[in-house]
Amino acid sequence: MHPPRTHYGSLLRDYVWPQRQRVVLLSGALLTSIALQIANPQVLRYFIDTAQQNAPTHLLIAAALLFLCGALLNQVATVAATYFSELVGWTATNNLRTQLLDHVLHLDRSFHADRTPGELIERIDGDVAALANFFSQFVIQIVGNLLLCAGVIVVVGVIDGWIALALAATSVVMFTLLLRLQRIAVPARLAGRQSSADLFGFIEERLGGTEDLRSNGAIPYTMLRLYQLMRRRLHLERRAAVRGAGAFTTTTVFSAVYVAIAFILIKRHVLLGTMTIGTAYLIFFYTQTLMHPITLISRQLEDFQKAAAGILRIDELLQIHSALSVGPGVPLPDGPLSVEFDNVSFGYDTDDAVLTSIGLSVGAGRVLGILGRTGSGKTTLTRLLFRLYDPTAGALRLGGVDLRDASLAELRERVGVVTQEVQLFHATIRENLTFFDDTISDRRILAVLDRLGLQAWYARLSHGLDTMLASGSSGGLSAGEAQVLALVRVFLKDPGLVILDEASSRLDPATEQLVEQAVDALLTGRTGLVIAHRLQTVLRADDILILENGGKAEYGRRTALQDDPTSRFSHLLRVGLDEVLV
Amino acid sequence: MNTFYYYRRLIGSAPWSWCGDLGGITLSVLFETIPGLLAREFFNGLSGAAPARLNLSTIIVLLVLLRLPWVLSIVALSMTSTTFVYTAGALLRTNMFRHILHRPGAQALPASPGEAISRFREDVDETLWDLIRFNDLVSFMVFAIVGFAIMVRTNILITIAVFLPLVLVTLLTQQVRRRLESYRAASRASTGDVTGFLGEILGAAQAVQVAGKEDSVVRRFSHLSEQRRTAGLRDKLFSQLLESISTNTVNLGTAVILLFAAQQMKTGRFTVGDFALFVYYLGRISDFTSLFGVLLARYRQAGISFARMVTLLKGAFPGDLVAARPVYTRGPFPTIPQPVRVPHEQLQRLEVLGLSFHYPSSGHGIDDVDLDLPAGSFTVITGRIGSGKTTFLRTLLGLLPAERGHIRWNDQPVSDPATFFVPPHSAYTPQVPRLFSDTLKDNLLLGLDETGVDLQQALSLAVLEDDLRQMPAGLDTVVGTRGVRLSGGQIQRAAAARMFVRDAELLVFDDLSSALDVEVEAQLWERLFARHHQVPVTCLVVSHRRAALRRADQIIVLRDGRVVARGRLDDLLASSLDMQQLWASGDRHAGAEQQQAEHENL
Repeated sequence: MHPPRTHYGSLLRDYVWPQRQRVVLLSGALLTSIALQIANPQVLRYFIDTAQQNAPTHLLIAAALLFLCGALLNQVATVAATYFSELVGWTATNNLRTQLLDHVLHLDRSFHADRTPGELIERIDGDVAALANFFSQFVIQIVGNLLLCAGVIVVVGVIDGWIALALAATSVVMFTLLLRLQRIAVPARLAGRQSSADLFGFIEERLGGTEDLRSNGAIPYTMLRLYQLMRRRLHLERRAAVRGAGAFTTTTVFSAVYVAIAFILIKRHVLLGTMTIGTAYLIFFYTQTLMHPITLISRQLEDFQKAAAGILRIDELLQIHSALSVGPGVPLPDGPLSVEFDNVSFGYDTDDAVLTSIGLSVGAGRVLGILGRTGSGKTTLTRLLFRLYDPTAGALRLGGVDLRDASLAELRERVGVVTQEVQLFHATIRENLTFFDDTISDRRILAVLDRLGLQAWYARLSHGLDTMLASGSSGGLSAGEAQVLALVRVFLKDPGLVILDEASSRLDPATEQLVEQAVDALLTGRTGLVIAHRLQTVLRADDILILENGGKAEYGRRTALQDDPTSRFSHLLRVGLDEVLV
Repeated sequence: MNTFYYYRRLIGSAPWSWCGDLGGITLSVLFETIPGLLAREFFNGLSGAAPARLNLSTIIVLLVLLRLPWVLSIVALSMTSTTFVYTAGALLRTNMFRHILHRPGAQALPASPGEAISRFREDVDETLWDLIRFNDLVSFMVFAIVGFAIMVRTNILITIAVFLPLVLVTLLTQQVRRRLESYRAASRASTGDVTGFLGEILGAAQAVQVAGKEDSVVRRFSHLSEQRRTAGLRDKLFSQLLESISTNTVNLGTAVILLFAAQQMKTGRFTVGDFALFVYYLGRISDFTSLFGVLLARYRQAGISFARMVTLLKGAFPGDLVAARPVYTRGPFPTIPQPVRVPHEQLQRLEVLGLSFHYPSSGHGIDDVDLDLPAGSFTVITGRIGSGKTTFLRTLLGLLPAERGHIRWNDQPVSDPATFFVPPHSAYTPQVPRLFSDTLKDNLLLGLDETGVDLQQALSLAVLEDDLRQMPAGLDTVVGTRGVRLSGGQIQRAAAARMFVRDAELLVFDDLSSALDVEVEAQLWERLFARHHQVPVTCLVVSHRRAALRRADQIIVLRDGRVVARGRLDDLLASSLDMQQLWASGDRHAGAEQQQAEHENL
């Protein structure tokens, strides 16, 4: 399947047209190279004919030197053409990649939930890389090589029309045949690639689970699977190689046909005395030259198939739009933000409600503790607050402003979130705290660390803010330290509303106090929503909400609920502190 | 062990395909000398410079017909080369994979799986394709020798004049090529930076969005892309330059022929046919010299690749990398041995004496842990975070190498715990179990014969039936990479079912309930105890859960890697301060433990 033709045009317009000066230089270099490839063999003809006529030696030496100069100039032109085409290609693809990343980062959570990072890397980097060729080479190579073929045939045609016609006809036949053979070869190669991907996916996964495999006696089974996958790869890659060899050998068989045709026609001419030996050699030389551009064009067309698939996928990605509407940008009030759920309902799928008719309001500066089982809708409730999703019914207001009316950027600036999983980057501590934002000064970061009582922790870092976090999701940090970083991130924003999702669940005792202290500092003078499975975390809340199956099971002031022996909350406190199980 | 040794052994592992490839490519290249000779005959006949030995039709028939055996040999070569690369590659991969699987399971890899995989993929494939290209080099050399001989016989002076610049240029580019290697490495590294950054960002897209930092992230990406462009451009430009030098050698050679032939052509000592032959051969011979340069560099690289593969063997004899072993690329696959209970090995008593292990990196570990498990007993190991509970289980099962200590199964010493503690003797569920991207059933069975096991009972024990009913494909549900399509609790229960279905005499599980909901957890313990009541299978369990502690026949309390108390719950609550504290903090730490374990496993 091919994308509509207009897409190629718009891609070229958006990414190549701004570089038109480079394209002009590129075309110049390319045309020079083509001209030289046609002209230089003429020197050989002159040389041979002159030598045959017993002309003075200095003429021959001059011809030899001229040939050398032409060859050198051609190389310069080729290198220049390569340079400019690479430059155009890289610039265009880099711009496209940046645009795609920007686009993807602005898509809502339902998009990211369905796709693994690996898949998106393949889209943003892999598919675009296949396009590099389209931008930098496709038109130029196709046009350039067609010109070269045409030039050779025209020059031969001036010498003898029949030879030119024969060459042109064989070229067309060979070209069609090559395309056919490639069509057979490409699916086999894709199958081979897939078998490789399967094998290495298998190995990687099993390497991460050696403990499970070993202790459950699964080694013979795992080895068997390895043997099966390796055998499959051998068969599929071999098949791909054999089919690929078919396409390759065709070109050389045709080179023999070319030469044979040239020989027959040359012989006739020389016998008739209408052709010199030098011209005969020239035609022989050209027939060998002709092979190269035809192979290149067919290869370009194959690359083009890859690029076409890439363009389709990229286009598909760009067509996905965030489900979140863009509001008029009503500003949020300064300071702590009140939170209001006005009869809010929400479901990830239309027929499956996660939250039903939630109504509550948290005054500015107060802390709400949210309780409930896994799946009761706690996390979803907070996700609505920073607009990872919009409610399906009802309205959410922060500081009296409907979320859909505020700008998304401001909303996320004013709401600070510590999620269950702290996501860290393989980058420096500074970059992890600032999200690569260079405008946040070190002084400000250090001031926040100070404020949260983290001086001692900071002093232990080997390179201060330049300390690199190790790769892997934990960044080589303990769970507690990761939590600390997440708190600093939020603090750097100075938000009016703080959401702590299961904040204390990752703590080990050593850093527990450190984090408690930081959380206290963070909640001072801000509205807070705190989620925890464990009751202790909730004890710092002013109000309590207990969720059950997406609905409000209980809601009120914490102290009041605690004192009421019939409340769910006081029951939970008793059971939780005692024993929930058995 | 040098590169040559590895290569020799690898050739030995698939000798026929390698020899076939070498013979085939040499033969096919020899065929390619003929068109040059035919062109000479043609032009000599045309100019009348030399007596025509072949007429036109003979030349043309030969020209076209001789392509057929050539085509056949190229197609055959594509078979021999892939057969060799993927058969010898299977040997390298099998040896590395076997070694890793047979190492103490908890410490199997020296690097992350992602890093290790590049050794399984690129290092193996590239070194073997280089070996195939070595065959190409041999064949090109044969061509060069034959071509050189023909050229010398034709005209010795011009031959020498042509070959001198060729040799000089080859030597020169050799110096430049090293530069290219460093440019290429820089280009690869910058690509790694870009894709690495993309992976980090896309893996944490939500964090970026929630922080509202999309723009600063995109700016950084654009900056990294810029650096990649510079490195990529330099690499490409340089390699293009190098390529153009080698192309130019042919043109330079042609010009040299012209210069030297200018005089001799007039006298007829060098004919137009000779000229055609020289130009044709020159192109092929310069292919040889440039490939020679490339392969010299690749040979150095292969040495590095082999060293990288050997590190995966972690201290084993390096030659094991290429040790001969069946790789089953043909014929029937091996059958999987099914665990069979042997009556005299039926567990009566498991004793552990003075078991010790310390992690080399931190020095933490366990010291002199003793344990006595009578058949059918239920033993709980408990203790604070970092007290050595998991380390003890791993050392007992041979997943970590014990430094000291004895293990006795029915009074018989267990010399290699890693091989012994597998079904039917024991089965294990780690704290953070791993599932694999197969169907749920495959994950549970892992090669067990379905007809010989009670899958339904295992599913019921692990409280998985309700979950299964909600999956449209049931047991055939594909669980996704590392089980991502299941919830954390489902993964843990699936791993428990995987342990139960193995019907082992000793069940070992580490903090089984850490990711479970309260209700599901209660069900799981109930069913387990009910089952234990009927068939008293021996259990060794790490847990803080009161349900487990209450039920235990004995509790072992660990602190800093040592046993500080042991006995039944009531006695310990009366006598052990550690036990009192653990009991009081109760179930609270379980979640933190889970996180801690994930952290350690990364």
